[in-house]
Amino acid sequence: MEQLLAALDASWRVLLVGTLLGAGLPVLFSLGVKSVAWGVGGEAEQHLRGVVPKPHLAGRLLAYLIFTLVVLIVLAGIGFIAAHGLGWTISFDAAGLKFSHK
Amino acid sequence: MVIVVLTALAFDFTNGFHDTANAMATSIATKALSPKAAVTLCAVLNLVGAFLSVEVALTVTTAVIRIQNPDGSLRPELLADGGFNILLILLAGLAGAIIWNILTWLWGLPSSSSHALFGGLVGATIAGLGFDQVKWLGEGAHLDGVIGKVVLPALASPFIALVVSAIGTKLVFWVTREVATRYRETGFRWGQIGTASLMSLSHGTNDAQKTMGMVTLALLACGEWTDLHSIPLWVKVACALAIAAGTYIGGWRIIRTMGHGLVSVSSPQGMVAEASSAAVILTSSQLGFALSTTHVATGSILGTGIGIGAKVRWEVAVRMVVAWLTTLPLAGLVGAALYGIGRLIGGPPGAAAVFLVMAAAAGYMYWHSRKDKISHENVADIDWDDDEDDEPWPVAAAAGPDDDLAEDEAALVAVGALGRDPREAD
Repeated sequence: MEQLLAALDASWRVLLVGTLLGAGLPVLFSLGVKSVAWGVGGEAEQHLRGVVPKPHLAGRLLAYLIFTLVVLIVLAGIGFIAAHGLGWTISFDAAGLKFSHK
Repeated sequence: MVIVVLTALAFDFTNGFHDTANAMATSIATKALSPKAAVTLCAVLNLVGAFLSVEVALTVTTAVIRIQNPDGSLRPELLADGGFNILLILLAGLAGAIIWNILTWLWGLPSSSSHALFGGLVGATIAGLGFDQVKWLGEGAHLDGVIGKVVLPALASPFIALVVSAIGTKLVFWVTREVATRYRETGFRWGQIGTASLMSLSHGTNDAQKTMGMVTLALLACGEWTDLHSIPLWVKVACALAIAAGTYIGGWRIIRTMGHGLVSVSSPQGMVAEASSAAVILTSSQLGFALSTTHVATGSILGTGIGIGAKVRWEVAVRMVVAWLTTLPLAGLVGAALYGIGRLIGGPPGAAAVFLVMAAAAGYMYWHSRKDKISHENVADIDWDDDEDDEPWPVAAAAGPDDDLAEDEAALVAVGALGRDPREAD
């Protein structure tokens, strides 16, 4: 029974953080795709016949910003795996990231 | 001893090709990567990942069986016979896991390689040391034992992954609703490559470690290695190469099931699936609630279908779940049977017999698979529905979790028939 509760406890934590990262990252990426489409205009966006959307510089800049952020998050993920493999544990608390060696 | 090492490497190899699908199936299905490029990328990252994991994985067996002390050393009373019994248990456990891995590959079903390994070990331990040497339940609130480390995570993981990816898919499609479909597909392919790479890397760090632990354990058992805090370099290199080679060969059958069988994924869905799998796996391993990559990846793919209300082939999902439920007991049964054979013949010839039985079974199943080859050439092109239209699937999934071997053989025949459908469709 205690095992079951422990598993449930772990489950909702994984669900919470997983949703934040696992759903958040693709949503961020999709915002990037959305802004690049807005930035490029034309056939990238859904439009009515004859009304071709104009390109927007701001959209492209915003897209670059978002994609850079996504790449950084992914790199952080890889760094996390590498650090974990090298015997480091990284924990999150109020003070931010905490590194500790096993 | 040599046989145990070879068998462990063979297990690592099957682990590699079994799990390529988890990371790469959706990228291949959406043609974000060509099949060859996908497995190459995945293999390289698995290799890198395997080397990244220098953490000592000696305690791999402690979750389910009691042959090791908490510090990783083997219990001295078990080494009285020169470690032969331990070696035979490890050997039978690994061989049982390999047979189950190849069998599920033949059926095109993704099943957890670590469950197969645990199952094989549990079976061989029951046969060799008795029922009470298996750690069934953890103590207190610390998740451990067969229940805490295997059964509960297996029940939870698909649901967690499913919810995460369903939410992700819904939001992603809502955000990009005004972007032209073709443009959206192209954009998300890049995202897919990134997230799939992340999955491959984490797979390499997690799974290669298990085999390294097993090989080192075998070395400890026969006194070839005594250091409990490191792993011989040659073991590391051999395991990394074995898992990368297995990945490169590619379990095309499983890739096909994962990429086309459950949901016909588009590239935004593929990216969400990979991202949520990677996030769930990384989070869970950080929290000590290690979830099986296979279960998480499957749940994620299902979630992307549910998130946008796409057609989900539930009959495929149900068959997978049956495979998951049966992995532990059946791999255990095979492990126990192999241990029995080894014990009966006794000595090195017994170990050789176990190895030969495993090799023969693997060879037979490989030969069987040639009849309807699925390779990198046709994996992305076969349309799942083609072979479904006039010939509904045999309901092999009816077998319950507690089915015995006879029922399972019936299931094998039934699912074997399914495996031949694509060729007939051609």
